[in-house]
Amino acid sequence: MISQALNDQITRIGPNTDAGNVLRQYWQPAALSDELAGEFPVAVNLLGERLALVRSGDGALQLKTRIVPQGEPAAHCPAAQEITLDPDGATYPAHEIKGAVFAYMGPGDPPEFPNFDCFRAPDSHVFAFKGLWRCNWLQALEIGIDPAHASFLHRFLEDEDPSDGYGKQFRDKAAHTDMPMTQVLRDYPRPEIQVDETDYGLKITALRHMENDLTHVRVTNQIFPEAICIPMSREMTITQWHVPIDDENCYWFTIFTSFNNPVNKDLMRDQRLKEHRLPDYAPLKNRENNYHYDPAEQETLTYTGMGLDINVHDQWAVEGMGAIQDRRQEHLGRSDVAIIRYRRMLRKAIADLAAARPEELPMQGRADVSAIRGPLSNDAIAPTENWQSASHAADTARRAECPWDASV
Amino acid sequence: MTTPQATAHNKVEGHWKVIAQSKTLDAGRPLLPITLGNDRFVLFRDEEGGLGLIGRNCPHRGADLCFGRLEDNGLRCPFHGWHFDRTGQCVEQPAEPEGSKMYTQIKVPMVPVKEENGVISAWCETTGDKT
Repeated sequence: MISQALNDQITRIGPNTDAGNVLRQYWQPAALSDELAGEFPVAVNLLGERLALVRSGDGALQLKTRIVPQGEPAAHCPAAQEITLDPDGATYPAHEIKGAVFAYMGPGDPPEFPNFDCFRAPDSHVFAFKGLWRCNWLQALEIGIDPAHASFLHRFLEDEDPSDGYGKQFRDKAAHTDMPMTQVLRDYPRPEIQVDETDYGLKITALRHMENDLTHVRVTNQIFPEAICIPMSREMTITQWHVPIDDENCYWFTIFTSFNNPVNKDLMRDQRLKEHRLPDYAPLKNRENNYHYDPAEQETLTYTGMGLDINVHDQWAVEGMGAIQDRRQEHLGRSDVAIIRYRRMLRKAIADLAAARPEELPMQGRADVSAIRGPLSNDAIAPTENWQSASHAADTARRAECPWDASV
Repeated sequence: MTTPQATAHNKVEGHWKVIAQSKTLDAGRPLLPITLGNDRFVLFRDEEGGLGLIGRNCPHRGADLCFGRLEDNGLRCPFHGWHFDRTGQCVEQPAEPEGSKMYTQIKVPMVPVKEENGVISAWCETTGDKT
């Protein structure tokens, strides 16, 4: 449980707020390259500001402030001809990379991009998409650094054939075994969770101790301030920002990254466009239609009764907490250890900024940002006695086979 | 059904407020969202036929218990499997380490209910803002 004042401090992100100032020190995903196909300007709603992407004379992208009629909904994306730019408003630099447009809305020069896999892989091996969640960004991030929930929220009471799982989370086989990942999650619901602070944020290791002295090792990451990097399948990882639109709405914004084979972008896009509407990328299953909740399905097939798409499960979990989760009422357990560590990092960053020490923030000058690679993000099944080296070896082998330079 | 808690609460000033018909609750999955004043609750029937009217948000991280799993004679949160009986007492936290007793300290707010002649009522204390 925390106080209302602290909850406000770590959730609210408008201009000149504590958490908003921290987020503004970093590049923020502002739009998909897919959104640039039509006319400019392109509406962007980011960090509580109403903006639009324009192309300047030299072709560079910029974010400019737009003038908005009173009461415009938070995620509204007006057409180009309906956008009025504010000549007195702020202008921010933007940069297109790997199917995404990032913007820098903070003071001074923007920081370098770290050499994460999603920025290093060739364009053929990445695919970007986003989706709207009607809640504060922090609760959306916190579900991503909570390795225990996958054993419940995403539990399938029956396993699908893993060979039908392309482009979907948790549908592959676990590591080098024939066991579907869904079975590992279901059979071992009490992971031992270890959290290590790193140059980029947190490394989160979930250990599921299995029979015959084997351990399932799942390494995921918190990338400061509001992203995660997690394995999706043996082939792909997910680097996902939980980027605020305003205090009560956010986008999950993902760059899927493939190690060996090029990404089948048409299939990935079709799978996801089927579940979202344009232009705001709002999911078709949502609070208004009870996420297509089916009590019969909940009894026999899925833990939630909300279908097989794990994004919908996450969306239900975080939107059901309310627009901004009331953390005065929460009771964190041992399974929430990464959330606790993350909030500590965020509060330290807030304090460092308030004391004019921005270089103390992760990836803001203490370490060489271009030397930050990976991060290791992998599932492995290893002998319990040497799970650490086995997990590392499995990741290294995957990187060594890959056609692009994924060395770490 | 009048719960023992309801009898105790009768010493406090308040009144019974009709919140649902039994046939509505039992038409399908026996669970309904209920709002009393500014507070949101979930009403459910357990496997013994008893009624629980408990806070709607899971005390762990706030997930909406209206989509909970009715099983093991109580209501289970789909987020991390925390399980509550009809008094709002947490009885299981299956993601916490073996042997953890944290669940004994966790209780969701509970409002006494009674069921008479197919009508379900909740006990609303006059002093609160639950009417």
